Amino acid sequence: MGKVLGKRSALAGPYVIWAVGFTVIPLVVIIRYAVFDRSGAFTLSNILAIFAPVHLKALIFSLEIALGCTLICILLAYPLVLAISRLKFARSGMMLVILILPMWMNFILKLLAWQMILSSNGVLNLIIRSLGFAEFDISNTPLSIMIGVIYEYFPYMVLPIYDAVTAIAEDVIEAARDLGAKKKTVFWKVVFPLSLPGLMSGITMVFVPSMTSFVTADILGGGKLQLVGNIIEQEFIHSMNWNLGAGLSVALMIFVLISMTFTINKDEREEEEAW
Amino acid sequence: MGETILELKNISKSFDGKKILDDLCLNIEKNEFVTLLGPSGCGKSTLLRIIGGFVKPDHGQVFFEGSDITSMPPEKRQVHTVFQKYSLFPHMNVADNVAFGLKLKKKSKEYINEKVRYAMRLVNMEGYEERMTTSLSGGQQQRIAIARAIVNEPKMLLLDEPLGALDLKLRHEMQRELMRIKHEVGITFVYVTHDQEEALTMSDRIVVMNQGIIQQMGTSKSIYDEPQNAFVADFIGDSNIVNGIMIKDRLVLIHGVEVECVDEGFDSNEPVDVVIRPEDLVIVGKDSGFTNGIVTNLIYKGAYYDISVAAGDYEWSVQSNVPAAVDNEVGLFIDPENIQIMKKPRSSDEEVIDKLG
Repeated sequence: MGKVLGKRSALAGPYVIWAVGFTVIPLVVIIRYAVFDRSGAFTLSNILAIFAPVHLKALIFSLEIALGCTLICILLAYPLVLAISRLKFARSGMMLVILILPMWMNFILKLLAWQMILSSNGVLNLIIRSLGFAEFDISNTPLSIMIGVIYEYFPYMVLPIYDAVTAIAEDVIEAARDLGAKKKTVFWKVVFPLSLPGLMSGITMVFVPSMTSFVTADILGGGKLQLVGNIIEQEFIHSMNWNLGAGLSVALMIFVLISMTFTINKDEREEEEAW
Repeated sequence: MGETILELKNISKSFDGKKILDDLCLNIEKNEFVTLLGPSGCGKSTLLRIIGGFVKPDHGQVFFEGSDITSMPPEKRQVHTVFQKYSLFPHMNVADNVAFGLKLKKKSKEYINEKVRYAMRLVNMEGYEERMTTSLSGGQQQRIAIARAIVNEPKMLLLDEPLGALDLKLRHEMQRELMRIKHEVGITFVYVTHDQEEALTMSDRIVVMNQGIIQQMGTSKSIYDEPQNAFVADFIGDSNIVNGIMIKDRLVLIHGVEVECVDEGFDSNEPVDVVIRPEDLVIVGKDSGFTNGIVTNLIYKGAYYDISVAAGDYEWSVQSNVPAAVDNEVGLFIDPENIQIMKKPRSSDEEVIDKLG
């Protein structure tokens, strides 16, 4: 038994090396940078710098973008999942491939395409003008950042929810209908609660990346709108202040961890109070 | 018996071009325990799903208490289903599962609590209210599924092979429980199973189905004692089914031997199926029965011996309280009363015969 176990855990070797080399060590390095100032003295000011007005503003803006994007992804994902999960197997597979297809294309390329579409002389405005409506310039606005973020991360919301919904046994849904539940009630009392684990994975995979997706903000926000990721990037690349950059990263990490535990606890409580 | 609660009129249903139900008519009476019995693929589950509202028939109508409910969705019907796989809601505890239907109907808290308590007592599951359904055994889950349906006071309960996933001992226990519950709540049960023993034990009336049509309907006793065709005879209990020729009234030719029987009304020299139950055959001395044979096999089954007797190229199956020595030549005796003569199915049903081999 012990021998088998020993052999099995050896299979995790490559992952352990990966995790140590690319997660644990960089994390230690970042935390080390974060808690010292440039002269090498211990300080918490790099981390607390998140509360400086300009940083706080970026954090709140990131939070708004991330919350908005996550919410819109959820609202778009459920109807899509319900529609796809009803299709016959071959067709639903096709739909999923169409959904995943953009993920195989280069991220920057897609953002540049969106920039062209959304710019004042872009495709979107061309269509709007040709329909006789007033020009509608959303380039370099929070809205255009959100469109980019949603486009990028939507599949990460759909796939885990799709998995959770298709795992619900058909006869459980039939049982609910049999007991008098209309389609809407079946969704809220059975499908939605049973899809929560998928929804939680979806939120985790969309919320955090949307907060820090500085390249999207750069390209679609015209460099004027700053997410907390942009500030961190600037500290590292332009100001060369690695200590402050690392400090803000650590602060962000703490913030994300706190908000994630909050969501997960809340989810458990809601499950208990399903009625 | 009493008044009709459900009427199925000329129901037909095909899936992917394959006919599952073929112009089927059936009336079910109030407070009846009706069992739809047949091999898998005979259409019994489809028929139950049509009654439950999950499947719409291609042709025909469903009447419930006189009104046409053919297109009524399941959530509006006054029938509830107990599914084979229990189908409990995994995210709710036992009490919330049972209360599901009542909460949808917006009953008062006191009423719901009272009803849930009653239902839990009815299925002998008091004290399990707070448990999660996933922590229960199969038998316990099925009890909760029954409670969850019955608590809503349906006029008819549909049970789709509800005991199919349970082991034999538990199945017997649950059969008795179901009969007790049926007796206590006094509603109509429509029960689907492929297990003939289950059907014979519980039902007021058995509907034997095969290939989308009803083969025979009647009480357990009438189905067992007087099967109307070879399919029913073979499906219900063990049977020796042999080809025979009706020479005249009360005389049939079996394997070249004229044997007395009690059946009348066949054409002279009409080919027939002769059905003899293994427990009706008696092993006697050589030349004292209607045929002789060699004992080829003897299996002790607890309550009786299962004996195979080869006569010509047919092997008779005999159930007897006394053993017979293998390789002995013996005679087989049959009381004329215990021979059942059946008309050969028409050619359109040839398949039925083929399946019997």
